[in-house]
Amino acid sequence: MIRRFAGTALAVMAWIMSISAVASGGELQQKLTEESTVEQVIKRGVLRVGMSTFVPWAMTDKSGNLIGFEIDVASRLAQDMGVKVEFVPTKWAGIIPALLTGKFDVIIGGMGITPQRNLKVNFSIPYDYSGVAIVAHRQLAAGFSRLEDFNRPEVIVTARLGSTSAAAVNKLLPNAQKRFFDDESQVVQELLNGKVHALLAGTPLPTYQALKYPDTLFLPVKGAVTKEPIGFVVRKGDFDTLNFFDSWIRVVEAEGWLAERKAYWFETQNWESLLK
Amino acid sequence: MTLRKPKLGVLDALVLVALIAAAVYVFYRVRDGLHYRWEWEAIPQYLLRRDPEIGAWVPNVLMQGFLTTLRLSIWATVLASLIGTAMGLLRLSSSRFRRWVGLAYVELTRNSPSLVLVFIFYYFLGEQWLPSVGMESVLRRQSPETQWLVQALVAPPGMLTAFISAVITLAVLEGAYITEIVRAGVQSIEAGQREAAAALGLTRWQCMRHVLLPQAIQRILPPLGGQFIATIKDSAIVSVISVPELTFRGMELMSSTYLTFETWITITGLYFVLTFGCSMVFARLENAWRRARA
Repeated sequence: MIRRFAGTALAVMAWIMSISAVASGGELQQKLTEESTVEQVIKRGVLRVGMSTFVPWAMTDKSGNLIGFEIDVASRLAQDMGVKVEFVPTKWAGIIPALLTGKFDVIIGGMGITPQRNLKVNFSIPYDYSGVAIVAHRQLAAGFSRLEDFNRPEVIVTARLGSTSAAAVNKLLPNAQKRFFDDESQVVQELLNGKVHALLAGTPLPTYQALKYPDTLFLPVKGAVTKEPIGFVVRKGDFDTLNFFDSWIRVVEAEGWLAERKAYWFETQNWESLLK
Repeated sequence: MTLRKPKLGVLDALVLVALIAAAVYVFYRVRDGLHYRWEWEAIPQYLLRRDPEIGAWVPNVLMQGFLTTLRLSIWATVLASLIGTAMGLLRLSSSRFRRWVGLAYVELTRNSPSLVLVFIFYYFLGEQWLPSVGMESVLRRQSPETQWLVQALVAPPGMLTAFISAVITLAVLEGAYITEIVRAGVQSIEAGQREAAAALGLTRWQCMRHVLLPQAIQRILPPLGGQFIATIKDSAIVSVISVPELTFRGMELMSSTYLTFETWITITGLYFVLTFGCSMVFARLENAWRRARA
């Protein structure tokens, strides 16, 4: 008797649920729209941008303000959305977990698009391309002129932990010894101290360092050794936001604004005096 | 036996010369061995800068980080002291259950890696405990004065979740050590004191409040001062969850300017100001307490 009753109750419940599922199809869409990051940002009036310091993408100037290519991009994005921008400087190694747990809305931090990262997060279309280049120690790496020269077990190379440069080291120089650090400044210092033969980092850092320390450092290979697309990073399952960012990038690209900003930060050094 | 006035002997002079020689050696090693261009003149502007708009000196990145570390340390030590005292009293309780609660807290916290706890609090518990979006949006809707006050005392709205999880983590971590300091302090009071209090008909609580704790505080203060200093220095670990405290701001500055050693040395100096200040406060407290009890 009880069993029969339970069976009936189950059937009734399934029936009610199927009806409500049909009714809520439209509501679901509305709910998704409301919950999208773009809507949340508009409601809050603040766009929270996760980033990490990296010359000249994002850096602290003399007055303690953030400046750089990425800062320009994020500020213009917020301005076009009609909201204020708030930057959340975050350690590079923890930047994706911080995005996933909602510490900020989007990463605009020079993050290269890779299939591995894309399995965890969504990327916008690229707003920029970056390359990884190599700079080496004059004495330790004397006579090295090709990338293969560094791919030997007695050679030590360094890069920033979790960066695409670190991935490039693992891919291009599998035989070399690797030493990874949390910050670019530690990576540079390790090379200057002669503890490693070379460092790999996103352009234009290697060129700048070779210019700054011509007696200690040199560029064994001219130009970038890899090229990678750079995109905004958002949480998965939020297509309204992704579409908004994609369209925004297309608009500012068509305006020529992106190319103009990129030229200012990467091809001139007029901003150098703002730093120190 | 009369005390001799200390005089500078041959041995003292030798030690002094050896120390100076070592310092000079290190200086030259650093100058020649380290391939580094020193730019000390760039550092002061990161402490304080002149704001052209209001025409006054305002704190820049390093000083802002210093102030965040100060706020972080104050909140964490206050909270840790509360947790530590409460748990310390639990550890001294006559009920086995309460003693076990205290013991479980101390052993679980003290035996976990602090870095792991920081991450767990920030990424997991922080999400459940602190309804981040709610708290943040409530704060954003407040008047500018309220926002300014919260920012001055705690953190700006965007940093609130990270700051609060950092304070809680530090307090829970340091609270475990304070628990043991409180327990050891009270247990170090001679058994005769408790027996005398019992003989006078004082209850357990009265005995604790009027007999044991006042005497224990004198013994608790020195190790407590050490623990507070440790808290200030340990606060640097929360830089991994990007709380903009002194170490984090310093590392950001290094990434922008590559003034690696200048910045680290300045940071060390700033921590010293805080920790040495803390030492002095505790030295005074100990004196004051001793005089008040005498």
